[in-house]
Amino acid sequence: MSAFRLHNTGDQVDLQTVMTILLQVLVGGLSLGVLYAIVALGYTMVYGVLQLINFAHSEVFITGGIVGYFVFHALQDSSMNGYLKLVLACLAAMIVSGALNVVIERLAYRPLRGAQRLVPLITAIGVSLILQDTLKFVVGLTGMFDLSVTLPKGFTSPLTKFAGIDITSLNLQVKDVILLVVATLMLIGLNLLVNHTRLGRAIRAVAHDRQTAGLMGIDSNRIISLTFLIGGALGGLGGVMYAMKYQALNAYSGMAPGMKAFSAAVLGGIGSIPGAMLGGIVLGWVETLLGVVSLFSALPGLHWLSYIKAEYKDLGGFLALILILFIKPTGLLGKSSTEKV
Amino acid sequence: MSADNITAGAAPLLELRDVHTYYGQIHALKGLNLTVNPGEIVALIGGNGAGKTTTLKTVSGMMKPKQGQVIYQGQNISGIPSHTIMQRSMSHVPEGRRIFPQLTVRENLEVGAFTITNRKLIEQRVQEGFALFPRLKERETQLGGTMSGGEQQMLAIARALMVSPKLLLLDEPSMGLSPLFVEAIFDIVERLNREHGTTILLVEQNANMALAIAQRAYVLQTGEIRLSGNAADIASDESVRKAYLGDE
Ligand SMILES: Nc1ncnc2c1ncn2[C@@H]1O[C@H](COP(=O)(O)OP(=O)(O)O)[C@@H](O)[C@H]1O
Ligand SMILES: [Mg+2]
Repeated sequence: MSAFRLHNTGDQVDLQTVMTILLQVLVGGLSLGVLYAIVALGYTMVYGVLQLINFAHSEVFITGGIVGYFVFHALQDSSMNGYLKLVLACLAAMIVSGALNVVIERLAYRPLRGAQRLVPLITAIGVSLILQDTLKFVVGLTGMFDLSVTLPKGFTSPLTKFAGIDITSLNLQVKDVILLVVATLMLIGLNLLVNHTRLGRAIRAVAHDRQTAGLMGIDSNRIISLTFLIGGALGGLGGVMYAMKYQALNAYSGMAPGMKAFSAAVLGGIGSIPGAMLGGIVLGWVETLLGVVSLFSALPGLHWLSYIKAEYKDLGGFLALILILFIKPTGLLGKSSTEKV
Repeated sequence: MSADNITAGAAPLLELRDVHTYYGQIHALKGLNLTVNPGEIVALIGGNGAGKTTTLKTVSGMMKPKQGQVIYQGQNISGIPSHTIMQRSMSHVPEGRRIFPQLTVRENLEVGAFTITNRKLIEQRVQEGFALFPRLKERETQLGGTMSGGEQQMLAIARALMVSPKLLLLDEPSMGLSPLFVEAIFDIVERLNREHGTTILLVEQNANMALAIAQRAYVLQTGEIRLSGNAADIASDESVRKAYLGDE
């Protein structure tokens, strides 16, 4: 993206370049945003049912990425269709991460049900650390610290045409579109699940009032397990998407994106599912925009933008979070706490 | 099911035997004995803090008695979690209604039917609920939390009826409602009992109205039964009138 420079030829600014950069931000930010969103959902769904911040989710997420790496690696020389490889990687990652999340809840959080809130919170941090070291061990078995992901052929090809229009200037690769499509489908699927199925209603009922849900014949422990399963599976899928996007990861790669996804969940209103989706996308856009905004410093009157260096983009996401929480403490779509029983 | 019906006339539907329930150190129920026969409306009255809510919670499994037995349909259900008990044709409308405010009226009803897997039957029950409370039909897609207290109470009752319960536990359905709503709610309770044969254990502070529709009643005081008998007798009892019916 930084390949672009705005040319200020007298008073004439290259409008087309500005538009191209904005389009890049729109599309690039969206694909980053949906990635944050599916990871953010894991935080927000678990928070919804247990009022617990599952710090281990960043490791559950990157576990999916590592599983994805192994699947791609194992199938590297297979003549199998690339999309089929991707499906297998996603399925394996979702199963492993989902199951891992269920086990974490069962072993670490359930015994602490009813304890003061700080206790499971600290436990969550502990689980996160244990998983990091476990992952480091597993990754270490390959003899490497950093894994570099070999994607199926064609995934990294540049995308030149969309609906007949030349989009070479957007610098997109096939994998960016895959990410966008897969993550968006997941978000739609989750929305359908939560809003239009018996299980989804049960999840929302348990999230709001576990005791009364019990009076409806709902086994809240089962629903909590299922919530961890779904949240973990989404995280695992996010991990594969991450591995695909950056093609490099290690046992600690979950931390930074995990933190950002958590911020996205808070930004959107922790506990709110549409909030996590919106928060993720907003964060993706803010971050991507901040990464290129200094390019606009060539425009008249916008000279000061040159101070916003691309390296600040991570900071920018958190600043956006603080700003929004300052204006609306419950997050964009968060319910006021008095509505919770 | 059919076996239950044959013995229904003889055996009580619900029986509490020497039930003791605690909140930590607080001894809320102190050896409660109580029976509810099939087809009855039984009123449980008493002042604030007497243990009425705790009694219902102990029946529905929200609380575990430390001692004693809760016998439902001939089976000891004490200690069984509420989600399991609720699969046995019992419903509990909790104190304060506890509808799901972020779910629509229809979704609240559908959650009430969680233990039913037959979609046709669920839809049929939803329609029955709407027939019973036409106001809910008008509010079908509205969020539960946006309704008035009276409407929420109707929703809470309709939600409990989704499973077509044999035993309905009602905890202060008239609490905080305008007289018009109170009238409507009591009407429905009586109709449920008369037309559908639903057995009802009714907790009320509004003792006058409760005693008017109940066949039998228990008066609870600090976790113990003070008095029990025919509702009409209780209603005319001097000490009860003084303590609970607002007589000077
Ligand atoms: N959550 C609770 N924690 C501690 N004590 C409680 C709790 N709920 C009720 N109690 C106590 O148990 C007793 C019975 O309460 P309750 O069953 O709610 O009475 P009622 O419904 O007749 O007003 C009261 O003394 C009350 O203070
Ligand atoms: Mg009460």
